Amino acid sequence: MVVMVFRPLVVSLDEVGSAVWRASELGGAVGATVGTGHPALDAQLPGGGWPVGAICEILQVQSGQHEWRLLLPALTRVAAGPVVLVGAPRVPFGPGLVRQGLDARRLLWVNIDASPARLWATEQALRCAEVGAVLAWLPQVRVEQLRRLQIAASAHHKLLFVMRPAQAQGDSSPAVLRMLVASCPAGEAPSDALQVQLLKRRGPPLAQALTLPACQARLSALLALSSHGRLAHANREGADALGRLATAA
Amino acid sequence: MHWVALQPLPEPDQRPHSGPLATELSDALAALGWWALQFTPKVTRIEEALALEVSASERLWGGRERLLRHIIESNKPVASVKYAQGATSLIAIARLQMTGFETWPNPSTRPEGNPLPLQRPVTAPDALPLSALAAARPHLATLERMGCTCWGQLRALPRGGVARRFGASVLEALDQAYGHRPELYPWLVLPEVFEATLELSAQVESAPALLFGARRLLNQLRAWLQMRQAGVLAFELGWTMDARRDTATQGALVVRTAQPTLDTAHLQRLLGEHLARLTLPAPVQYLHLRTLDTQGMDGESASLLPDEQRPGDSLHQLLERLSARLGSQHVLQMQARADHRPEQMQQWKPASSAAQLIAACASRTGARDEKNQKENGFYPTWLLASPLKLVVRQQRPLYQGPLTLLAGPQRLEAAWWGDCALRDYFVARSQQAGLLWIYCERPGRTQQGPDRVPDWYLHGIFA
Repeated sequence: MVVMVFRPLVVSLDEVGSAVWRASELGGAVGATVGTGHPALDAQLPGGGWPVGAICEILQVQSGQHEWRLLLPALTRVAAGPVVLVGAPRVPFGPGLVRQGLDARRLLWVNIDASPARLWATEQALRCAEVGAVLAWLPQVRVEQLRRLQIAASAHHKLLFVMRPAQAQGDSSPAVLRMLVASCPAGEAPSDALQVQLLKRRGPPLAQALTLPACQARLSALLALSSHGRLAHANREGADALGRLATAA
Repeated sequence: MHWVALQPLPEPDQRPHSGPLATELSDALAALGWWALQFTPKVTRIEEALALEVSASERLWGGRERLLRHIIESNKPVASVKYAQGATSLIAIARLQMTGFETWPNPSTRPEGNPLPLQRPVTAPDALPLSALAAARPHLATLERMGCTCWGQLRALPRGGVARRFGASVLEALDQAYGHRPELYPWLVLPEVFEATLELSAQVESAPALLFGARRLLNQLRAWLQMRQAGVLAFELGWTMDARRDTATQGALVVRTAQPTLDTAHLQRLLGEHLARLTLPAPVQYLHLRTLDTQGMDGESASLLPDEQRPGDSLHQLLERLSARLGSQHVLQMQARADHRPEQMQQWKPASSAAQLIAACASRTGARDEKNQKENGFYPTWLLASPLKLVVRQQRPLYQGPLTLLAGPQRLEAAWWGDCALRDYFVARSQQAGLLWIYCERPGRTQQGPDRVPDWYLHGIFA
């Protein structure tokens, strides 16, 4: 006679470990990521950085105001390869970028206005093996076009940032990461910081906006001085303030 | 002496089962001839077939059978072929003509370990039909009435009578076929410059449709380049148009690449971008392709580690494709210049050479960065293409609201030799537009006056 003993199967969720994702946790990194260079932002992103091989959508009220401050630390970390700018809103200023660590000779600027041409150039750039990252300003992009770019980015494992106007935040998007970037309102402590609101990420929604003290290091030192009123009359006194700062730096 | 005769099979669209080997070529026989040159230098064209004299290179390839196997299966020929062999070229050709158009069993579908039946039952030279001997073909009817249908029967006839009746050429051919007389042919050589013409099957009216014909020429070009172990740097696609129209009858398009390439797909895309911008004044009848510049290709070195190969196009292909479609003035790369005026510090030039970009990406910039960061002054990340003149109200510049000056001035005095720049740069804050780089134009010595209000300009944005 065979006696079968049934024991109740008790498995707590802790034992299952990473096989189960809880809605309150950040999603695990599906692929590689590149650190953003902003610790506060890294802490809130799955995988701790910009996802490689997926669209990162950056929405702004006025294009051309925050991109470099937000993206430059990551772009300097991308190991090698040209950085392709598709349809930048203004002329990128090489000496200014070099000061912040990005060799401007690495930039390839595709300066076109027509939206289909921008999309085509973005897709071609993603297909290139050597390219390190692609920054595309696409004010009038449709969902199916974004999806196509998303597929190209994931197939070729590229870092892709798409800059769009803030009006697009109500639209659906295939992007893995969406954020609304704005300047901090005046009067709040770190002046000229970025206010980043994560609209979409692999993880629980983040209600409050992040504040990133993203500014050129020396410029922020200067601004701190000016907030103390020591440079309030700088425009009258001449260059001595700059000289003082240079010796301090 | 041992001869192999090869003949390309008809185009795949005329055959029911097109094999994977079939590629579109404008002149398959010529391409096959170039391809066959790798096996032996003695390749010649007889009628519509190729004859290869292989006895001298058999040992190099490890024996006759292995050479044949190389020719037919391991080395993928440029077109599907049928083959025959014989002791002399005429026997090989005659046997070739007797074989039908049956193709090889596809190597992928053939079961493993079952080699090709290379030794097929062959017809003895005496039994070959006279119709397979080119010299005897004009006299076929007469010979048939005499009861001569095969080579052996003709050979049995008295030589004097044959020579008187049919001419000496028949006897010569017969002697050559039996190896009593040496066979001398003009051997095929690979031309120095590739030049090919294609007659279009129908008149083509739109330029992009020319690409279909050009593709066949490009495939032919690739066969030639592969044999020369070269890549093309520049080629010219020309076309001849209908002469009955009162327009130009010739047109041409030169396509250049930055690096020598063998990649037909890339050349085809480039050609497509160029053709898309053309309008043809008259229908096109002929296409010509000619190489203008080629360069020897280095062999590709395979990586020891499997992971190093990244999939995707190469950078120079990307640059060429972008420049071909969008225009080279829209695909730019930066070049630094030694000047103090911000607008002259950099120049955005057409990105022509990928090598420069790659070198920039590879170079170590750490030391330079440190030096740069110690330098004085602030530079914005965006620059306005031309400085924007700001409205001044109560001696304060306005841009999307009043501006607060935060730092400055950073004094600039440059270009006294020409367009003199006397500027004081300031970092200013706007509530709406963030940090801005503005300058105040100091009046020059000549135009200094007490009541002159300086002009303010917006020149950059700290984004």
